[in-house]
Amino acid sequence: MTQEDERDLKTPVSTGHSWPRVRALLGVVLGLLLLLGGVGSAMAQTSDSGVEGKTFVIGTDTTFAPFEFRQDGELTGIDMDLIRAIAESEGFKVEIRSLGFNAALQALTSNQVDGVIAGMSITDERKQVYDFSEPYFESGIQMAVARNNDDIKGYEDLKGKTVVAKTGSEGETYAKSIAGKYGFTVKSLDQSATMVESVKSGSAAAVFDDYPVLAYGIAQNSGLKAVTDKVPGGSYGFAVNKGKNTALLGAFNDGLAKMKANGEYQKILDKYLADPTAAAPSTFWDLLVKSFPALMSGLKNTLLVTIISFAVAMALGLLAGFMKISRNILLRGIATTFVNVFRGTPLLLWAFMFYFGIPQLIGQPINIWVAGVLTLSLNSGAYVAEIVRGGIQSVDPGQLEASRSLGLGYGKSMQKVVVPQAFKMMTPSLINQLIIMLKDSSLLLAIGFAELLYQGQQIYAANFRVTETLLIVGAIYFIAIMALTKLANFADRRFNK
Amino acid sequence: MSTAPVETQKPAKITVQGLRKSFGANEVLKGIDVQIGEGEVVCIIGPSGSGKSTLLRCLNKLEEISAGQVVVDGFDVTDPKVDINEVRRHVGMVFQHFNLFPHMSVAENIMLAPVELKKATKAEAREQALKLLDRVGLRAKADARPASLSGGQKQRVAIARALAMSPGIMLFDEATSALDPEMVGEVLQVIRDLADEGMTMVLVTHEMGFAKEIGDRVVFMADGVVCESGPPSELFGNPQQERTKEFLSKVL
Ligand SMILES: Nc1ncnc2c1ncn2[C@@H]1O[C@H](COP(=O)(O)OP(=O)(O)OP(=O)(O)O)[C@@H](O)[C@H]1O
Ligand SMILES: [Mg+2]
Repeated sequence: MTQEDERDLKTPVSTGHSWPRVRALLGVVLGLLLLLGGVGSAMAQTSDSGVEGKTFVIGTDTTFAPFEFRQDGELTGIDMDLIRAIAESEGFKVEIRSLGFNAALQALTSNQVDGVIAGMSITDERKQVYDFSEPYFESGIQMAVARNNDDIKGYEDLKGKTVVAKTGSEGETYAKSIAGKYGFTVKSLDQSATMVESVKSGSAAAVFDDYPVLAYGIAQNSGLKAVTDKVPGGSYGFAVNKGKNTALLGAFNDGLAKMKANGEYQKILDKYLADPTAAAPSTFWDLLVKSFPALMSGLKNTLLVTIISFAVAMALGLLAGFMKISRNILLRGIATTFVNVFRGTPLLLWAFMFYFGIPQLIGQPINIWVAGVLTLSLNSGAYVAEIVRGGIQSVDPGQLEASRSLGLGYGKSMQKVVVPQAFKMMTPSLINQLIIMLKDSSLLLAIGFAELLYQGQQIYAANFRVTETLLIVGAIYFIAIMALTKLANFADRRFNK
Repeated sequence: MSTAPVETQKPAKITVQGLRKSFGANEVLKGIDVQIGEGEVVCIIGPSGSGKSTLLRCLNKLEEISAGQVVVDGFDVTDPKVDINEVRRHVGMVFQHFNLFPHMSVAENIMLAPVELKKATKAEAREQALKLLDRVGLRAKADARPASLSGGQKQRVAIARALAMSPGIMLFDEATSALDPEMVGEVLQVIRDLADEGMTMVLVTHEMGFAKEIGDRVVFMADGVVCESGPPSELFGNPQQERTKEFLSKVL
C-alpha cells in the first residue's frame, strides 16, 4: 500500500496524481476497503523460463513527458522507446497499458501486469515489494528561469524572490532545503505546465524540477532556460513484482546493457532531451490543426459520458424524487439518505472511490466509463431528485384532488395531471443540471478519463502552450454548451407547450 | 349505471352516521349524522372553520375518516375493501378554485376521466364532452385552454367535467365564492338546471338567497356539529337555535 500515495521522486507533467490531501484520504479509505475485501489474486502470470516469443503486459503512466506521453495519439517517450527497443532485441513482445502511475503500481501488485516502466525512482521502500532492473536513467534537480531573464544566474540571485516546485517532488524538497540559506520562498504547484506558466508570467522567479522534465520542456519551446548544474537525484528503474518474472527482468538488464554499448540508448535520450534549437516555433493555426483530432475525440467522450450519465441521473432522480414524496417512511428515508450523501460529498471523491476503491473491493479493475458514469449520474441524480420533488410539490394540490375526485387512481393522476405540469416547471432546472454535468465531467480527468479538458492537458503537457490550448478547449466547451442549450430549449418548446 | 346501488325502496343516497374527523389533535367534525335522499338538494351553511368543507370532502374520502360511517350511493366508503375510485365515479365534485387542468384543453379536461377509465373511446368521449359543454353553454370553447376563460366559464367547465362520469351525486364546495359578482349568476343557473333535472346535490355555500331558493333542506353547522337543519323556510324564517339566529343575523 505504501507506493500508491507516494510519488516522491517522480514528477508528472500532467495532472492526476498531485492531490495530496485527497490522496491521503483515499489512502485511508482504500486501506479500509482492502481490509474488508482483500486484493484480487494472480491474473497475468507468466512462467519464468525465458522470454523469447512471449508477450508481456507492461503498465505505465498516462503522461510523464518525456518518459511517456502521447503525440498525435501515439504513446511515445523515453520509457516507451526503451522498452520497445529492448523487447525487439531480446525477442519478446510487449503490450503497453497506459494506466496512470498509481494504478500501474496497483496493477503490478495484483499481477495484472508483468512489469512497470513509468519513470519510477528506485527506493528502498519500493524494493521491498518489487524487484528493480539496473537503473536506466540518472535523474537530478535543476533550476530554470525565463529565457529572457539575464538577472538570475544562480541560487545567490534568488534573495527575496519566490520560486515554484512541484508538490511532493524531490525538486520541492531540494528547493526548501536551500531556501533559508539563499533567502527565497518556495511555492508548491501541481503541474509542470503551470509551473512553467508561473515563471513565464513573472509570478515566480524560477522553477525547480527534474532535469529531464525541464530539458524536454525547453526542447519544446517552453520558453525557459536551465541555469544551474543538476543536483544528482534518484535513478529510474524497470520493476517487476517481487520474485516474479525474473526472466523478464534479466532480459531487460541484458537489453539495456547492449543498447548502452551500441549507442542506441544515447540516441533515445538525445531524441527527447536535445537542444531547443531543434524545435521550430509553430503558429496558433498549427496548434489548432494538430490538436484538433485529439480535442474532438475528447469532446466526443465528454458528450457521450454526459448524455449517458444524464439519462441514468434522470431515471435515478425520478425514482428518488417520487420516493421522497411517498408516504412510506422507509422509501422516504432511503431517498433522503441518497440525496444527502451525494449532495454532501465532492464529485471528485466519488470518482476516486469508484475508480480506485471499488476495484480493491471486488478484486478486479473497473471500466473507466462505468466509474465515470457512476460518479456523474449519482451526483446529478441527487440534484435531479430534488428538482423532481420540488417540481411535483409546486403543483397545486387541488390538481391531484380534482383528478382523484374524478375516480382516477394515484398513479394515473400523477401520470396524466401532476407530472406533466411538474415537468414543465422542472425543465429549466433540468437543462441547467445537464449543463452543470457537462462541465463537471471535466473533473473525470483526475482518474484519467480522456474527456475534453484531459486531452487539452495532454497537449499542453507535451508542448507547453498552456494558454492557447486552454483557449481552444474553452471555446469548444462554450460552443458545445451553447448548442446543447439551444437544443434543450427547442425540445422544451416542442414538448412542453 | 352498471354498478347499481343496493338500496331499493326508500332511496337514501347518502347516509352519514357519527362521523368524526380530526387533524392531529384538532377535532374538526365531532359526530355528524345526516341523511340525504335521492334527488334532494341540501345546502350546508355555517361560519368559517365550522367544518363544512371537511364534511363534504369526507363524503368522497378526499379526507380520511377518523370514526363513524359514511355510505354513499350504497357504498360504505369507510370500509377499506371498497374501491374508493369506483365510489368517486358516482360522485362529482366542484371546487371553489375550479382546479381545471391547465395543460389540457377544455374538452380534454372533460374527456380525461371517461377515456382513462375506459368508459369511452376518444371519439365518444369528445362527443359527450361537447354535449356537456352545450349544457353549460360553452361548446364554442371546447378547444380553448382553461387559462383563456373567465372565472364563471372556468367553473361551468369544471361542472361539465364533474358530470362526465354521469354521477348520481354532485358536491359543490363554495362554487361561486371565487367569482366576480357578475359571473355568479351564470354558474348558479347551471346548478339550478341540475336541480331541476333531479340531481342529488350537496352544496356548501355562502349565498343565502340561493340556498333559500334551491335547497330542499338547509343544514347549519357550527363547531364541527350539525346545529340545526330543516327546510329553508323554517331555518331562515324561524330558527330554533341561538347559534343559528346569531349567524343568520350577521349574514342576512
Ligand atoms: N388539511 C388540514 N389540516 C389541518 N387542519 C385542517 C385541514 N383542513 C381543515 N383544517 C381545519 O379544520 C377546520 C375546519 O375547516 P373547514 O375547511 O372544513 O371549514 P369550513 O367550514 O369549510 O370553513 P370556510 O367557510 O372558511 O371554508 C379549520 O379549523 C381548519 O383549520
Ligand atoms: Mg370551506
